Amino acid sequence: MSDVLLEVKNVHKSFGHNQVHQGVNFNLKKGESLGLLGGSGTGKSVLLRSIIGLEHIDSGEISFHHQRIDQLSENEIAPFRTKISYSFQSGALFDSVNVFENIAYPLFEHTTLTYKQIEERVSQMLKLIDLEGKESLMPSDLSGGMQKRVGMARAMILNPEIILYDEPTAGLDPANTLNVVSLMGKLKKTGVSSIFVTHDIPSAVMLCDRIIVLHKGKIIFNDTPIAFQNSEDPLIRKFITNKDTI
Amino acid sequence: MIDLITDIFVRFAKRWKNNFIFVGEISSLLFETLKCTFSSPFYFSRMMEQINLIGYGSTIITIVIGLTMGLVMTLNFGYGLAKFGGTLYVPAVVSLSLAREMAPLFTSLLVAGRVGSGIAAEIGAMNVTQQIDAIRALGTSPVRVLVVPRFWALIISLPLLSALSFAVGILGGMVVCKNEFDIPNGFYLYKVFSTVKFHDYMSGLVKSAVFGGIITLFACYKGLKTRDGTKGVGLTTTWVVVTASILILVTDFFISKIFLVIW
Repeated sequence: MSDVLLEVKNVHKSFGHNQVHQGVNFNLKKGESLGLLGGSGTGKSVLLRSIIGLEHIDSGEISFHHQRIDQLSENEIAPFRTKISYSFQSGALFDSVNVFENIAYPLFEHTTLTYKQIEERVSQMLKLIDLEGKESLMPSDLSGGMQKRVGMARAMILNPEIILYDEPTAGLDPANTLNVVSLMGKLKKTGVSSIFVTHDIPSAVMLCDRIIVLHKGKIIFNDTPIAFQNSEDPLIRKFITNKDTI
Repeated sequence: MIDLITDIFVRFAKRWKNNFIFVGEISSLLFETLKCTFSSPFYFSRMMEQINLIGYGSTIITIVIGLTMGLVMTLNFGYGLAKFGGTLYVPAVVSLSLAREMAPLFTSLLVAGRVGSGIAAEIGAMNVTQQIDAIRALGTSPVRVLVVPRFWALIISLPLLSALSFAVGILGGMVVCKNEFDIPNGFYLYKVFSTVKFHDYMSGLVKSAVFGGIITLFACYKGLKTRDGTKGVGLTTTWVVVTASILILVTDFFISKIFLVIW
């Protein structure tokens, strides 16, 4: 029980009459990678945004280290956002500053490191994401895959305990998908926990320790990737063979 | 008939409810801005950067409008007052109008167009591209990072720009007085400085500071509320320029009234 980092209990969320989540339950253990799958519009990204407090849930509980974080105000949740980081689907890089300033932003904000130490840290991070020497480029000079990797570097620069990936491989060509998946694999080896929202089943199966499938606001599958691939459930089979139709 | 009355009543109530929500949200943003100002960290370098961008960046346009105001007002007052033999009153009338009303008002309207739309477009674009969410997700506050530096930068810059506009306007008036009405420069300047008192300068400076706060607050508010992609950004900038301009004109009346009653 003590190795549970994040607990999502009976979460309900609706936008107007659209009930996105109708009692979602799962937990994330230390060092675990969780793949969150489901058709388009099933609320996968909303769930990630709810975990980090960018969306407020209607009812239920979200706890981090057994401490509820779903009812915290914007100021109260800020310290948790250095421990649970979010990698945006689009990268969401600050387009008026260069790669270095984007990656260094959390360090300038939350640490007392000197400029030289920050430079070293950013340099290490750029090496990890295979973008050495690109510090001075602006986000507009980067390809989509590069932007996502820089966004991921920014998300992990503070060494968070959990990284929430929102469709990191969406819209990428096979080479860039491989780069991003390889980076996620490297991070997994460092022991960081993650939740990986994706439509990319092969990547999820390769990277994740557990797969969760959301359907009509509820979790219909929560087991290992092997069990997922061998599942006899018609909905899961349909999802595997025809991805977005469930 | 009852349905129609109910429908009108519901629409009216909804509209008022939205207006109350709007006032509440603007007040909340002002409160949050002040709260962030007086708690650490305060981004002094970002404020200086904004002063450079929106304050120093507006100097040329301020000089142009100040000079034009001085030239045009002096010309019109000069020929108007000449009909009644009051040409010698031109320096007093022009300087008083510039100090109390024209310099702060026109400079602020100009800045509302130039800077207000810029702030709204920048923050609006950041919002629709999830950069505001990224600021929040990285454990920082968009109000602290984006609003506070701009708010104080404009509150500091706009009075300085108004003062510049006033000074350039006075110079413009002096040129016209000398060349069109044969009023010596020494007499012109003597009349200007003996007519415009401390409270007249203060009236203009306080107005400019308040207008600066209004422009930034509304621009940031609307920017942070921008939705619907590039179309939303366009609508936001239009709304900010129109709303800020109207509010500046309305507020101008009340501040003028307050200063006339107090001093």
